[in-house]
Amino acid sequence: MMGKTIFIDPGRCIGCQACVSACRECDSHRGKSMIHLDYTEPGRSVASLPTVCMHCEDPVAPCAEVCPADAILVTADGVVQQADTTRCIGCANCVNACPFGVPKIDLQAKLQMKCNLCYDRTAYGLAPMCATVCPTGALFYGTVEELRAERPGVQVADSFAFGDVVVSTGVAMVVPADKVQWPVPGGLPVVEINGVDVR
Amino acid sequence: MSEPSEAVAAATPPPPAAPAPPAGRSVTARATLAGAAVSALLVLAIVLGSRFLRDFDSALLPYAVATVFLAFGVAYRYTVWVSSPGARRLFAKGFGSLFSAANFRKAPTALPRMIATYLGFQKFLGARSHARWAAHQLIFWGCILAALITFPLTWGWFTFTSGSGSGPGYEMRIWGFKVLGFDSLNILGWLMFHGLDIAAVLVIPGASYFLWRRMKDRGAITGQRFAYDLLPLILLIVISVTGLLLTFSSIFLHGGGYEFLAILHMVSVVFTLIYIPFGKFFHIVQRPAAVGMQLFKYTGRQDDQVFACKRCGEPVDTAPYVENLRGTMRDLRLGFDAWAEYCPRCKRVLRGNAYLTHVKKGYK
Amino acid sequence: MTAAPQPRPLPVDPSIAPPGTRNFRDAGGIPADRWHADQNGETLVPTHCCFCGVQCGMYLRVDHGGKVFGVEPRNHDINRMRLCPKGINAYQQVNHPDRLTAPLLRRSRNEPFREASWEEALDYTVSEIRRIQSAYGNDAFGMLGGASLFSEKTYLVGKFARVALKTRHVDYNGRLCMVSAAGANKLAFGIDRAGNPFSDILLTDCLLIAGSNVGECFPVMTQYLWGARDRGATLIVVDPRETAIARTADIHVALKPGTDAAFFNSVLNVVVKEGLDDESYLGAHTTGWEEVRDKVSEYPPERAAEICGIPAEQIVQVARAFAGADKAMAWHARGIEHHSQGVENCLTVINLCVATGNIGKPGAGYGTITGQGNGQGGREHGQKSDLLPGGRSITNPDHRRQICEIWGIEESELPAAGTSMMEMVWQMQRREIRGLIGVCNNPFVSLPNYAVVKDGYDTAEFHAQLDFFLSETAANAHVVFPVTTWAEDEGVMANAEARVVKHNKAQEPPAGVRTDTWVLCELAKRLGVGAKFDFPGSRELFEELRIASAGTVNDYYGITYDRLEETGGIAWPCPSTDHPGTPRLFEDGRTYHPDGKIHMQVVEWHPPMDPYTEEYPLSLTTGRTVAHFLSGNQTRRLGALVEQTPRPWVEVHPSHGFRNGDPVRVVTRRGSEVFPALVTEAIRPDTVFIPYHWPVPTAANALTIDALDPRSKIPEYKVCAARIEAAERVDEVPAPPTAPGREAYPETQVSRTDPLPPTSSQGRGTAERS
Repeated sequence: MMGKTIFIDPGRCIGCQACVSACRECDSHRGKSMIHLDYTEPGRSVASLPTVCMHCEDPVAPCAEVCPADAILVTADGVVQQADTTRCIGCANCVNACPFGVPKIDLQAKLQMKCNLCYDRTAYGLAPMCATVCPTGALFYGTVEELRAERPGVQVADSFAFGDVVVSTGVAMVVPADKVQWPVPGGLPVVEINGVDVR
Repeated sequence: MSEPSEAVAAATPPPPAAPAPPAGRSVTARATLAGAAVSALLVLAIVLGSRFLRDFDSALLPYAVATVFLAFGVAYRYTVWVSSPGARRLFAKGFGSLFSAANFRKAPTALPRMIATYLGFQKFLGARSHARWAAHQLIFWGCILAALITFPLTWGWFTFTSGSGSGPGYEMRIWGFKVLGFDSLNILGWLMFHGLDIAAVLVIPGASYFLWRRMKDRGAITGQRFAYDLLPLILLIVISVTGLLLTFSSIFLHGGGYEFLAILHMVSVVFTLIYIPFGKFFHIVQRPAAVGMQLFKYTGRQDDQVFACKRCGEPVDTAPYVENLRGTMRDLRLGFDAWAEYCPRCKRVLRGNAYLTHVKKGYK
Repeated sequence: MTAAPQPRPLPVDPSIAPPGTRNFRDAGGIPADRWHADQNGETLVPTHCCFCGVQCGMYLRVDHGGKVFGVEPRNHDINRMRLCPKGINAYQQVNHPDRLTAPLLRRSRNEPFREASWEEALDYTVSEIRRIQSAYGNDAFGMLGGASLFSEKTYLVGKFARVALKTRHVDYNGRLCMVSAAGANKLAFGIDRAGNPFSDILLTDCLLIAGSNVGECFPVMTQYLWGARDRGATLIVVDPRETAIARTADIHVALKPGTDAAFFNSVLNVVVKEGLDDESYLGAHTTGWEEVRDKVSEYPPERAAEICGIPAEQIVQVARAFAGADKAMAWHARGIEHHSQGVENCLTVINLCVATGNIGKPGAGYGTITGQGNGQGGREHGQKSDLLPGGRSITNPDHRRQICEIWGIEESELPAAGTSMMEMVWQMQRREIRGLIGVCNNPFVSLPNYAVVKDGYDTAEFHAQLDFFLSETAANAHVVFPVTTWAEDEGVMANAEARVVKHNKAQEPPAGVRTDTWVLCELAKRLGVGAKFDFPGSRELFEELRIASAGTVNDYYGITYDRLEETGGIAWPCPSTDHPGTPRLFEDGRTYHPDGKIHMQVVEWHPPMDPYTEEYPLSLTTGRTVAHFLSGNQTRRLGALVEQTPRPWVEVHPSHGFRNGDPVRVVTRRGSEVFPALVTEAIRPDTVFIPYHWPVPTAANALTIDALDPRSKIPEYKVCAARIEAAERVDEVPAPPTAPGREAYPETQVSRTDPLPPTSSQGRGTAERS
């Protein structure tokens, strides 16, 4: 089902932020880094998670659906593009609707920006900048077969559970082989006490 | 090149079997109705404004017809657009803020300032790139000038008459009422007669810069499409150049080639007018939504209705905005609208922690 | 009527957006407003990174005007397109606004610098050399080199000191980096380099990483670690901190700093006790095994567990995993080397590998990870106080004669062995050395016990420094020569595998800038020995280096620029131009000692030099963070890296009761400084950590001890006694020094004054950048 895409394995990530710097070198958004690198357990460990656009397939691109200006296009190859500069009104609907927390917004420029899978590179068959430089393979670009050739026995999951909803995506996560049937947990449902998330 | 073979706007997938949003067919019907009504109004305005066609210049008929099509197209597209779930609620909220008397009393200058900033001087473009801002301002003011002159002319709303029949004393009338008289030989007169040439001189460098950029800048080239990104620039340049050549022909060539140029000019203008609702130029119609959106958020902030992330407490946006977004997400039957109450960082961190806890802690 | 609440004036623009979604300032590059993507027809110059010892291949993107403007990944077999954040941003140094473009000169440290002509700066330097040497003798003038120089230039530094300055006092900053491993390698194997190439890591069954935060200091090398694990290898990490590689390791030994020798002796103890050693290998290939075996018998796991502060079972676990593996491999770095028994720590690791027969086989062996780009090559060709080119000893009469012949001097003219870098500073304090030329180093940040270093340099009557940014050390000099970056000259470096790679010139140096080679040759000419320094460029130097190394252990004779360009790198020894190089050592079972045996060495653990007391109960350890490199003179000026990690911090365990971000004063016997606390469970409760890339008043090295290993003379950076206490406010990071009248490029310095610690030791998360 999947062609060439990004596979993310947070377990391999060393949090070095090479991807963050490399993203800036991509000619389609030179000088601006779109990737997110979060340290998920500050104070406990140095664990980290890189986040690129997951290029949601079902529902197709919630960011584009909530866009009031029809600014986010999905190309035929399933890549959710960044906002069209002439249309985007900078409302941040996409920023807050995205279940993965991907889009960024330049408030001064009234313009959303997000990972476009380095479309200037991937459209030519080159790997995106982040996955090209990633020192650990936490970000891997290729087909599942190419991934398995390097990492025997791994599995990938391309669906995420947000409460009752399952979102399936174009970008996938590496998961242990015995857990492939699960949608990867997306972080919902919330655990609330007095209106504050206590996790 | 990296031009996508087929690009589809994904923003309008009609949610299947949703009771709340209007079904596809009724949107079409309403849009057609709106288009018909607006074009009928325009026709009526032309007839009345040209004093029952007495002032109507039949040589400009194709232009006038094209504007009627334009009116239909814009109204149709606009209706379809604001009916989509993403836009509908923001449209309502934006106009709600616009027509709120309380709002006006609290910050009477907000709206004019926003209009000047976003629509007039387009400050936000300067944040993208100073060169792009300058070029866009040239095109913008050039087009505004051209539209202000040509639309009333083709509709027969403006007339220039001379008592002597051929100048130099002229008087300008709108809807038959004399507005001002001028001498075509002085500066004001020269400007009046050459307004379109000035517009062309503004538009040509602006559009040429963008065209050059579209061929050179890899950021712009990424995903660019001929019909959407390049065609409008080419049209602007063709219109401006042929317009200038018409002047050139009448002054220096004694009308040589005028007929051909006039037809070329007319064809490009008519095509552009009809193209406006369907291509890149639709942003002209859409852009005021930025003011509505901004006003809506501005109103929320004035009342200190800032929504904080449920987990980290950092501000996400204004509370009415988040509520509005959640409504939109519910309309679209995206089942995770509760997620909008978390800032993007917390979404990612929670997902990362869920992965570490439930999928794998680290390497294995 | 009460006054209606005044509506706050609200800006029309912009509105609110959640953290981490709204700013793009982290561009921070060469003038950030000049980031363009309209460079058509660029050229890609293949070269390598200027930073660490992995030496990743990269392309520099060069525009029509011949200026470097970007980087493109290169599929070189060292790094296979991967790059770390330092490497990606390295190119921004080349046309950086902070570059020095004219020589700076002043007659006294009380005066400000003024820009001078090259003639004036060179003449003044030579007159000072002459004055000092005629009054106090040749040895009163010293020279300090660096291991980020191309090998050609390190060769030139050594030759310049001995032939032009005629002084015995020459050393280099590899003294702070590689000398412990070098000493151990020489003692055990008679050759000073890693035994195996990186690619062997992919073949191993058990990988032991000792004292190396690979994920941060050598990020691109991580792919080999993960590659080994993908194929089922066990990973053992020995580190007081739970680093990125330790977090997921199969066994993480979080021992107390300064106890490595006890730990490895004890592991070997278990290996022997459980009969896991390879007696037949030991019998055939080693000397000294019996003494080593007797010594380690004094280190049962219970004893070591107490010394190291770890569970005894973990020692047994490590012994079984390492010795039980079919092929096992150990790599170490500064964590075990920066100690007053650094050489001995390395020897204990070597003993473990040798005793289990893991030497010289695919997937089995031993390596040391060099910190500086040319940490390997920089120590081979004579800028070390006791070595001559080709790794020859300056005390060996044969070696001296050979080099004197090549250099065309009398043997009596060749000075004797000098002293180490830290000792030279002490000699400067004592006025035994009165003048100094420094090339490519920044001791004001990198040497321990800053107060002593500053005093030593201040006492010197004359100090000239060569650099391309004004380092903290250069800012204290009399003369500063502006020289080229790595992208403006060509030359070779040897990486951690001893693979010699070629760096290519990507652009012309900015106006006013000369190569280090040119500067030293001009000085030599003025000192009257120009004929021996007729080197128009690196090519000519390399030709002489090849000849000077021919026939030695460090044989470069078969390596030529052409071959390097064809092959992408050749590992020395390479004695002839048809020799393929030697990626893996000892494959024939022979070492480079005359008897061909591995000389195993007995090691007795002793506590660190700085005693723990009630007043100083904690261990302070120092190290690197991923966004910065060594003394930070380069990386503290690159916007993206400053954004990632704007300032140093002190890493403390939650048990001390501090909250994240609290100002914490770290006190040692040398001084005290206040850092924001990064409170984390990823460090031992009895240990605190500070990264060392920043200058005073935020310098880890103002606190560290200048105790040296008696053999390698490496300072004991990795452990000293300390205490922590609550403080009022954190010390602020100073701006990097710049030439007179210039300001450190402000676009890159925006977040430098951020008083908070990073989110994690690797830096601030992208959403935490305010």
